[in-house]
Parts: sequence; structure tokens; C-alpha cells
Amino acid sequence: MGIVIAVISGKGGVGKTTTTANIGLGIAQNDKKCVVVDFDIGQRNLDMLLGLENRVVYDMVHVMDDNITIKQALIKSKMSPNLSFLAASQTKDKSVLESEKISKLIESLKAEFDYVILDAPAGIESGYEHTIEFADKALVVVNPEVSSIRDSDRAIGILDSKSKKVKDGEEVDKFLIINRIDSKMVQSGEMLNSDDILDILSIPLIGKIPEDKGIIDASNQGKPIILSKDSKAGQAYARVASRICGNKVDFVDVESHKDGFIQKFKGMFS
Amino acid sequence: MKTKQYSAKIFEITLEDEESFISFFNKNHPLLQNNLIVINGQESENIKRYLEDKNLKYLFNVEIPSYKKQKSNIEPIKQELEQVKEKIEPQKKQKTNLKVIDKLVRSGQEIAIDGDLLLLNRVNSGGSIIINGTLIVTQIVDGSIRCNGDFMMLQASHKANIVFHNVEVDNTFLQNKLNRVELINNEIVITPVLKETSWV
Repeated sequence: MGIVIAVISGKGGVGKTTTTANIGLGIAQNDKKCVVVDFDIGQRNLDMLLGLENRVVYDMVHVMDDNITIKQALIKSKMSPNLSFLAASQTKDKSVLESEKISKLIESLKAEFDYVILDAPAGIESGYEHTIEFADKALVVVNPEVSSIRDSDRAIGILDSKSKKVKDGEEVDKFLIINRIDSKMVQSGEMLNSDDILDILSIPLIGKIPEDKGIIDASNQGKPIILSKDSKAGQAYARVASRICGNKVDFVDVESHKDGFIQKFKGMFS
Repeated sequence: MKTKQYSAKIFEITLEDEESFISFFNKNHPLLQNNLIVINGQESENIKRYLEDKNLKYLFNVEIPSYKKQKSNIEPIKQELEQVKEKIEPQKKQKTNLKVIDKLVRSGQEIAIDGDLLLLNRVNSGGSIIINGTLIVTQIVDGSIRCNGDFMMLQASHKANIVFHNVEVDNTFLQNKLNRVELINNEIVITPVLKETSWV
């Protein structure tokens, strides 16, 4: 049976979808069968980031409501044979989601894949609640700024009260990804540092992703940044994916900025 | 006239036959030493001599003033007392009802309790605590607090919104690791707790 991981954030624009795409591909590169599911009904994006924009024929809602099998709707990625994608409907809205149907869908995905990654919509409405309902684990994506952290805090609170696992008396494991860390801004104190964020959210850290301008281009091209080996963000995503697959990977310091002359100079004496 | 009032121990016994009476006293003599023995039954020289030998004080055929009549005077008062107690006790229980919570209060979560609360974790921005009793929070508060108890103990929390007995507390006065906030003569008094507190 596969593990269901929901990627959540509360706030929009922090990089949930980018994280889902990269981590999905990263897990597939670790030789695990992985499916990424776009749960943002009515506003699908994940297909573009994975470069599968014009290959979507059937989506999740077709599988749930019409007589379309999952095999027909799943799209295999060209980037890795282990990675599949299930699209969200672009024409329907969140009201089509029903717990029973989602449960059935997720059960059949779990039977076939090692990892089922759900890209949650922004916000904490019904669409979000349906995404987390059947999750075993959650990746919480935050940016190092207060509003993102408060929204994630709220999202975690809802996860801890409304997911099926919690209602059954178990706990959903939550892991934190701090995204878009700008080392210069952290050092100047403009951005929150990760210890403060961990203090506030008090869930274990699974990765820190540095800000990378290459991500925008990667999204436009439909090639996740994890494919560019010399991108720092790509490397960071690869480490997170490896950790999810159960490997021990040391944390790399992405917060201190060591390129400048003064930093090097300081480094000589420290 | 000189009077004295004693409440003495009285041991009452019915005399039926002398032999068993004497054997009983032989056995229980140490216990009865300081009692006044009241014997119901036929006075007999043998018994008198025996008791005097044992140095016991005794009386024959005396009616002991019964307490039953006095009790009947007390009982209604007792019942009343018990009724009052019953009324008071549940209130008392509620008042001393301390709840200990170790969970983080996240954004959007609200803890509303009628009694006292000891919170061993932080209150995040957007979380709130509404409480009628005493409140102690051992970690930082970024959310909001409404407290109507005797006092609050809080850390220096500069983002918190704190209302104590419907008065907003200026949280810049919370400066120390732990501060006691209480209402004295309708004025909010904040005293730093300088002694290191160990919560374990």
C-alpha cells in the first residue's frame, strides 16, 4: 500500500505546486512509483509545471463521476517512467468533490503506487479539507514571512482536527519545507530564520529550499528545477525527495551567504 | 459555690451473674481503668468489694442523661449545614478545576475554559484563550488572551493581545521571563517573577 502525502500551505503562492512537481519527480528518480494528483479543482497548474499541458484527456472528476478508469486518466511523465500524473478538472469547481468518491480514488491509487502526492489548493475551504481528509502525511510549505507562517499554522490546525486519520485516533505526520529562502535577507534579519519558524510551528523540518530565479523559467518550460543539476533549489528538492524515501541526508546550510569577499574574510578568522 | 463540669467516660454494664461479671473485668481491666462504671442490676457486696479492690469508680442503677434529646436539637442544624455544603461544594470543585494543556494553540484555535489553565506550550498568532480562572502560560504568546481570574503568569510577549478583566494590558510592561499580572484596587499590577521557575 502506498503512502498518501498532502502538500499544504494555507497561503497561496508559496510554492506548493512547484514543490509537488519537484518532489514527485525526485521520488520517481529514487526508483519509487509515484503519482502526483492536482487537487486544485478549477485551477489546475501542475500539468504545466510537469510539461504535460496538452496531454490531459481525462481528469480526476471524469474518474470519479463518469465511467473512466484510472488507467485512462493517468498520464505517464516523459521525464521518469516511475512518475504519473492525475489532472484536476479545469471546467468544474470544488463542489463536485465528495468524500466517498475521493476515498475510492485514493484507495485505487494507493494500490498501484508507492507514493501518492496530493497538491492541495490554497486556502482552507472544502477543497483543502478534501485533500487532507485521507492523507497519511503532510508536507507543509512555508515562506520565511509571517503571513505564510500564520496561514500554515491554521492549515495544520485544520489538518489536526479534520483528517480521517486524526478522527480514527491516530496522528498525521507533518514535515516542514521552508521555501524561497533568501540567504542575504535572512542574514540581514529581514527574513525570519528557520529556528524561529520551527519554534512557532513545532513540526520537524524536512528541507530548506533556497530562492532560485531559475524556477520561473523551469515552470514556463515545464521542466522541474530538480532536473538542472547545478541549481541549488533543484539540489535541495532532490535532498527532500531522498529524505521522503527514507534515506538519511544531511542538512545543507542554505541560509548563510558565503560568496561575498567580506564573508570569506570573516570565515578565515572564525 | 464551686462548680466543675466534666465530660467523663462512662461504661455501662448490666449485671446478670457475678462470675461472668468478674471474669469480664479481669480481662478488660486495663481498658476500663479510667471509666466510670455504671452497673444496672442487683447491688451485691461481692461486686462492690471486687471493684473497690481494683480501684474502679462505680455507680449502681443510675440513669445516664441521654444524648438523644440533645441530638434532636442539633440534627436540623446539621441537615441544614449539609444542604449548604452540597450547594457550595460543586462550585468549589469548579473553581479549583485546573486544566493542564501541553498542546500548541495554533492559529484559528480557541481554548475556552471556565476554570484555571496551565498551558505548557505557546499560543501562536491567531490563536486565542478565553478563561474565567487563573491562567499560567509557560511559553511565548503571539495570539490573544482573555482572562478573568485572580492572576495571570505570562512571559514577555510583545505580539500578544491581552485583556485582563476587560482591560487591555499594555504588553510592553511584560519584560521578564515570567510576569505576574493581577488586579489590585481596580488597577492592573504587573510584577516580574525573578526567581527561576522549574516546571518539571
